[in-house]
Amino acid sequence: MAYSDFTLETAVETFDLKIVEPMGFFSGLETIDPGRNFTTHLANRVQLADAINTDKAKSELIISHVIFELQEHCDCRISFFSGTDFDVDAESGLDGVCDFLISLSPTQLFITAPVAILVEVPPISGKDESIIIGLGPCVAKMVAAQRFNAKKGNEISRIYGATTKGTEWMFLQLEEQRLSVDLMPYPIAQCDKILGILASMVKQKA
Amino acid sequence: MAYSNFTLETVRKTFQLETFEATDISADLAPVDLSAHLTTALEKKVPLAIAIGTEKASSELIVTDVLVELREKFENRISFFSGIDFNVDPESGLTGVCDFLVSLSPTQFHLETPIIILVEAKKDNPALGFGQCVAEMIAAQRFNKEKGTDIPRIYGAATTGTMWQFLKLEGNNLHIDRRVYSIEQCGKILGILSSMVEQKA
Repeated sequence: MAYSDFTLETAVETFDLKIVEPMGFFSGLETIDPGRNFTTHLANRVQLADAINTDKAKSELIISHVIFELQEHCDCRISFFSGTDFDVDAESGLDGVCDFLISLSPTQLFITAPVAILVEVPPISGKDESIIIGLGPCVAKMVAAQRFNAKKGNEISRIYGATTKGTEWMFLQLEEQRLSVDLMPYPIAQCDKILGILASMVKQKA
Repeated sequence: MAYSNFTLETVRKTFQLETFEATDISADLAPVDLSAHLTTALEKKVPLAIAIGTEKASSELIVTDVLVELREKFENRISFFSGIDFNVDPESGLTGVCDFLVSLSPTQFHLETPIIILVEAKKDNPALGFGQCVAEMIAAQRFNKEKGTDIPRIYGAATTGTMWQFLKLEGNNLHIDRRVYSIEQCGKILGILSSMVEQKA
């Protein structure tokens, strides 16, 4: 058992979560203007990633690009991790590799609490699958982050999540046992909106 | 059996390659000027990738940006692929996923020949990628031939993002450049990759 084995259903059951689905939950948050340089490069990278169409290319060309910009926007007061092991509680299946993980600590050499945002990139299998399949592993990682922060004595009230293949982003919030899933997908064309949501998450205001 | 199972030793034996090692193979190739964008990006992304310390982060933060710049330098007349299946000859073990692959065809929606550069990413030591990279280069040689777009040389790069090493396959002759280029010399690295695209390396 590991993060990738969870579906949304098994994650909600296993960790006794109360799920609500407020459409547009994150839609009212302030946007961030990333500047023309970023936007121009992003447009080219999105085209290229869409053509290549592997989850590796989408992570490399789009998702890491967006998260790097978020870190720049936050003046490197946050850290981000990519492909790092995040083994928290193997007995509960809370172990495995995180696609992307954002901590509110600036320490970049290892994962330090509080872990705030987990970004899940579901595999592209050739079938036209929705990003919804990333919800289960993402929620399991959010629960793990909650436990990790508690164990380290550095709890924050909300943990956030995102599932994305680059071109569309879906966002989640976990507060104690209450899981909010915003069913509205945000397209990368609105990257100012996506960056705004992520920045609000960093401020714990989303 | 797949690309990832090959070591330099097994790939040499299996495909009867004659190897030549030297430190000056790429020495004369001219460096190119980096765009201001790439220079600024690398200043921040290289230390970040080193701190994160995963192959995934190096691929995302360094290798991808270098290859995007290479493609832009050639005004998108070449294509590059990342993480695609490249199954050429399962019986010989020439199957698996390629980290990065550059083709001289501008078609970006699917892989078209001639394939010119295979890039293998490794976490700690580029030389540990040699076996796999050479196996992919042999597959590219066969694939190009099958499609009737033979080119005389196939190139390889094994990289941790911060360190790069280069390979050249000409018929059965494998040239291994022993020199390790650091990402600090990114202009030189892009110069070598550009010469490969121009088939002058």
